[in-house]
Amino acid sequence: MQIIIQGLLLSGLYALIAMGFTLIFSVGRVLNLAYGAYLLIGGYVYFTISQTLGVPKLIGLLLAAVVGCLVGLLKYRLLVKPLKGDHVAVEISTLILAVVLQAGVVFLYGDSSKILLPIVPGVTQVAGASVTYNLLTATIASWAILIGLYFFVRKTHVGRAMQAVSMDTKGAAISGVDPDKINMFTWGLSGALGATAGVFFASYTQLSPSMWVAPLIISVAVVIVGGIGSIIGTLIVAHIVGFMEVLAVSVIAPELRGVFTMLLIIGVLVIRPQGLFGREEL
Amino acid sequence: MNFLEVNNLCAFYGKAQALHNVSVDVKAGEIIAIVGANGAGKSTLLDSIMGLTTVTGDIRMEGKSLVGLGSAAIVSGGVGYAPERFNLFPYMSVQDNLLVGAFTARSDIERNLATVHQLFPRLEERKNQETSTQSGGERQMVSLGRALMTSPRLLLVDEPTIGLAPKVCSEIAVALRKMRDDLGATIVITEQNANFAMTLAERLYVLESGVVKAQGTVDELRNDTRLTEAYFGH
Ligand SMILES: Nc1ncnc2c1ncn2[C@@H]1O[C@H](COP(=O)(O)OP(=O)(O)OP(=O)(O)O)[C@@H](O)[C@H]1O
Ligand SMILES: [Mg+2]
Repeated sequence: MQIIIQGLLLSGLYALIAMGFTLIFSVGRVLNLAYGAYLLIGGYVYFTISQTLGVPKLIGLLLAAVVGCLVGLLKYRLLVKPLKGDHVAVEISTLILAVVLQAGVVFLYGDSSKILLPIVPGVTQVAGASVTYNLLTATIASWAILIGLYFFVRKTHVGRAMQAVSMDTKGAAISGVDPDKINMFTWGLSGALGATAGVFFASYTQLSPSMWVAPLIISVAVVIVGGIGSIIGTLIVAHIVGFMEVLAVSVIAPELRGVFTMLLIIGVLVIRPQGLFGREEL
Repeated sequence: MNFLEVNNLCAFYGKAQALHNVSVDVKAGEIIAIVGANGAGKSTLLDSIMGLTTVTGDIRMEGKSLVGLGSAAIVSGGVGYAPERFNLFPYMSVQDNLLVGAFTARSDIERNLATVHQLFPRLEERKNQETSTQSGGERQMVSLGRALMTSPRLLLVDEPTIGLAPKVCSEIAVALRKMRDDLGATIVITEQNANFAMTLAERLYVLESGVVKAQGTVDELRNDTRLTEAYFGH
């Protein structure tokens, strides 16, 4: 029971983590290898604002999202757009950017990891399993954000335009949609989602300068296993990855967290390069 | 002043030049056809009007230059486009494809949707179908419908009949004529099917290797050897 509940909770959070990465991959066709940096930024902004300065947590969370959004917008303008179309150059430079950012965090905050106090303290029982309020809150918030995003993408003009750009850029352009603006918007949205996920993720694990790596691997796994991801596909694959990790940690050994996810990525790449559920939709 | 004036247009794909000093004039409310063989530059001409290629020369609609505006601005300026390969959104429903077309014409959605459903009742019956599962004829209807959703005053249609059965061709012809007669759109089509072009359009331009070889009314060109040459070569 503990495993099922834990798996469900963690998977919801993983889905939120992967969502911002999936969006960029789907709309902009860019594998944003610096995606984990948004989580790093989100975690440290929240830490500084709410834990060090003592500003209310909700405001800290919002500011983290705003900073993530700005970083996403800047990255699109200064890096992705000038390098347009050159995927290898974009991927290499984004990866380098993440490493530079990590160095910046070490410089400002030191090398050692920090404990982020739970956003909501306390422990409760869910179906006989003990669960921290913190993870429960993170999961519920993640689901709420994902459901909101789902309806945004399906039911609004901008959301449909995002789908349109992801499926046929020329078709979108001749419908009056400016693919450049939609891309820019998506980068901002992705940054905000990543930074928000970073606050939850850091409060579940801990805050450290290298905390961008694990979420990046989760995100890559979700996109690779799910093909070019839809929101629903992201949710499904996040649950596969989440349950795999919970099982690995509780049944085998905590040190193996993440290892199976990496093996899964390689396995799927070898067996089915287009992903298990792959089709190009949002 | 003509409604659409294309003057000395040259279009380029990298270093290759696909159009050479093409000039085309269209009066308000006219239907004209650009005819020519494969590779003549028909699609390039329409793409260029939509701002999708690199060009020199001038393109003016109602006196206002469209060159350098960008497709989104050209669409909101009143140009609708149904391209050769449709460029539909394959995993979106018929209805959502149409709604993307309404991105810049949001206040006209209800009226435009009613018009599209009236022209193509099948699109209303199949509104939840994904376009990836549709037939060629149905896709052409979605494509025309999506272009109509932009509230166009100028409608560009690239080879409306390609690969379609005669019955569907005449349905499309009826729809295009209604768009002009009832909605007041000015229409430019391209065609390889000269018969279709001559029944629908009032004037023709014959394009060959990126150059305008002949132009005139349907009656003037009906027995012109340049028209048949453009299709069958020399
Ligand atoms: N994206 C492109 N890159 C390079 N050359 C192109 C491109 N698109 C078209 N061309 C070239 O431009 C010329 C005109 O092509 P275009 O597609 O406009 O002809 P068309 O008259 O529409 O032909 P079809 O009847 O086959 O559709 C051709 O020589 C073609 O090879
Ligand atoms: Mg063509």
